[in-house]
Amino acid sequence: MSKIVLAIASLAILAACGQSEPPAQPAEGTDAAATASEAAGQVLNVYSARHYDSDKVLYAKFEDETGIKVNVRESGAPELLETMKAEGAESPADVIIASDAGALYRFQLEGFTQAVKSDVLEAAIPAQLREAEGHWFGLAKRARVIVYDPQLLPAEEVDTYADLAEERLKGELCVRSSTNIYNLSLLSEMIGRNGSEAAEAWATGVASNFARPPEGGDTAQIEAVAAGQCAAAIVNHYYWLRLATGTTEERLTAARTAVSFPDQDTTGTHINITGAAVSSTSRSPELAVRFIEFLTTPEGQALLTSETKEFPIVAGAVNPEGLDLLPAFKQSDYPLTDLGSRQAEAQAIFDRAGWN
Amino acid sequence: MELKTPAIRSPALGQILVLVAGLVIALPVAVVLMTGLTEGGGAAWTHIRDTLLTSYLTGTVSMLALTAMLCLLMAVPAAWLVTMFRFPGRGMFEWLLVLPLAAPGYVLAYAWGDLAGVGGPLQSALRDATGWSARDYWFPDISSLPGLSFVLACTLYPYVYLTARAAFISQSVCTMEAARSLGASASRTFWSVALPAARPAIAAGLALAMMEAAADYGAAEFLGVPTLTYGIVRAWKSFGEPAAAARLAFVLLALILTFVIVERQARGRAGIQQSSVRWRTISRVSLKGPAAMGAAALCTGLFTLAFALPVGRLVWRSLEAGTRVASVSDALLNSLILAGAGAAFAFILALIIALSIRGRGALSTFARLAASSGYAIPGAVLALGALAIISILPFAMTGAVALAALAWVYAVRFTAAGTEPMAAALARAPASIGLAAQSLGASPLRRTLEVDLPVAMSGAAAAALVLFVEALKELPATLMLRPFNWDTLSVRAHAYASDERLAAAALPALLITVAGLAPVILLSWQMSRARPGSNA
Repeated sequence: MSKIVLAIASLAILAACGQSEPPAQPAEGTDAAATASEAAGQVLNVYSARHYDSDKVLYAKFEDETGIKVNVRESGAPELLETMKAEGAESPADVIIASDAGALYRFQLEGFTQAVKSDVLEAAIPAQLREAEGHWFGLAKRARVIVYDPQLLPAEEVDTYADLAEERLKGELCVRSSTNIYNLSLLSEMIGRNGSEAAEAWATGVASNFARPPEGGDTAQIEAVAAGQCAAAIVNHYYWLRLATGTTEERLTAARTAVSFPDQDTTGTHINITGAAVSSTSRSPELAVRFIEFLTTPEGQALLTSETKEFPIVAGAVNPEGLDLLPAFKQSDYPLTDLGSRQAEAQAIFDRAGWN
Repeated sequence: MELKTPAIRSPALGQILVLVAGLVIALPVAVVLMTGLTEGGGAAWTHIRDTLLTSYLTGTVSMLALTAMLCLLMAVPAAWLVTMFRFPGRGMFEWLLVLPLAAPGYVLAYAWGDLAGVGGPLQSALRDATGWSARDYWFPDISSLPGLSFVLACTLYPYVYLTARAAFISQSVCTMEAARSLGASASRTFWSVALPAARPAIAAGLALAMMEAAADYGAAEFLGVPTLTYGIVRAWKSFGEPAAAARLAFVLLALILTFVIVERQARGRAGIQQSSVRWRTISRVSLKGPAAMGAAALCTGLFTLAFALPVGRLVWRSLEAGTRVASVSDALLNSLILAGAGAAFAFILALIIALSIRGRGALSTFARLAASSGYAIPGAVLALGALAIISILPFAMTGAVALAALAWVYAVRFTAAGTEPMAAALARAPASIGLAAQSLGASPLRRTLEVDLPVAMSGAAAAALVLFVEALKELPATLMLRPFNWDTLSVRAHAYASDERLAAAALPALLITVAGLAPVILLSWQMSRARPGSNA
């Protein structure tokens, strides 16, 4: 019974003392330069649901190495999808970057991804983390963990997702809205593993344990645990890591809580990805593949995860600072491709369960 | 011929310009409404109608009611105090209290969400001081409908404050001195004389504030309150149903139309009451002792809640995070360029419409109405309209086309805000100037160019500045339409805030607010100069 459940108070404070220098600002290409390279046809249009300064460095690096000019449109994944629908076949997008396989699935469902073949990507990325035909590729990993107050709960009371539906946690849970893709994907895996009825029973149990109606993002749930408003919360691991490596105030918040990776003795903790897809409208899919391949290089992996605090997925890549605050853990091997197809059912179950 | 003296009359050019201006503004609105009427709305509409519409409607109506109440409570007493009394800090508060207008609702929502959240400094301090845990006490929840109303009232009350102050200054001096000389107490003067007389002006300010509140997307989204505007964007982005979004827009527009009518009527009545042309310096009553302290405390409290505390928190957050301005310099530049283009477009439309108002022609009414409805419609809805129109046209929604579309949406959304200062300048000019020009045989076109245009331009600086800042603050349409590499400050702030990275959102949010300060201060200063009665 080895349970990987952590109380990392002092560690967090210690490790976070040396905060990383924010990456330098990339030089902005001038309009004239953009036109010149556009004339040469070497332009890559990226639709990204991420907003990180390190991404700008990433694009600049790729530009330097390949001479390909990168244009970026950043927005939420749903907005990007609707933008592409409005643009239709004329959409200039070459690459789509989004967090959560469920989000990438929506692009695939609407016909905005295309199957591409790349030996490099297939060798670098485990099969579980990419779409079988090459519609999208996982590039960084995140785990959906339980953050709890070690003063209020012993570790073994929150070491499975099923624990959260137990009556003993009545009035003790904080979690964000069920419309959020992270919760939808988590429940999708449960539907896939245990069937709809079991998944609904779980969601109903969790909803009846809420300390307050769902509000705010994952960070807000951790803050609520730290403040004593609830005893446990379901969040993605990196939100906790960002607090644990943040300002003094934020590190204190993280220090009051502990992280549990659920289901270590059984199926493993639910994971998800940040991934990329080649747009079906791309006029230069080979450039797009080249770019995605660049993201699996050690350099690409380091830049992708340095600010987000996700786990790199390519063997040998440097971990982002602070990741060593978390233990190695057993991750679920559930194929991420299946998450998207159960989204609608998951939302319906949440609605019936009263999980707003 | 009667005394109807159209500024832009028979010359076909003038008529065509007004028509074009009206159409340019009305088109995206019309397209959205048409989509709502003609297309089925899809399965999403059935779902939204059956499960969400009621909560959107009650959410919006109760949010507006509460916001209106809070606006009145914040604005009217403060306006009354700074106009009628003398107390420590009065002269400073007169303009300080306008400053919250500079921060858009979503910026205040980020700041207040951070301040008042369970992990924020206010509650942490409370816990530290008392040793309580979060479940040992009750604290108002900022992520709630009352929280949203509070945040919106904080940034929108200045609309009411400005109109109320102007009304108190301009309309009440003589009547109020009469009331006082007849022995009425200060409070009786307020309730029986000043307030009824100022009511139309207050209603006009409140109607504007309500239009802004109804169009808010960023604050409602951030605080998680289901309103119609939030529902419209959600129907578009989560259900992927522009038609369902369009139907919701229809419901919202009906609501907004009520405010437009209220504002129109209030304005009409306000005009009649401008009876006395003799100005006199208001003799302010000096408050003593506790009364003076109370007045100063009330104004200080209001300014702290609406501006100093949230903006101070943003400053603290960006200093703490050490965000360098250089890291958002590209967004800053994009913001300036986009807002400049949008403001220029809107300015031209506003000028055309303002010049046509004197004519009272059907076209002018149409253009003005179009501008009003554009002002009342959330940017997201207009963006949907623009996207729909461009999808019919034979060019891709990229580069210059997207920039043009965005400038267009800015113009549709904000022209009304530019029309008003110019219309006001024209209205202040005595009609006799125009009539004199006419009697001297000037053609209507010449009269427009040589008499009305220069007069309108005196309101132009204010109009341009207002347009510029409104465009700078705009969020949802910018999110939807901006082309590659064109992130603005508002987009950046929103992206960081949605990523739960408030520290990173603080600096762009702060810069938007700083930019917003310039026109607010100018407007405030102009207002106090424009009313000779306020010289104190």
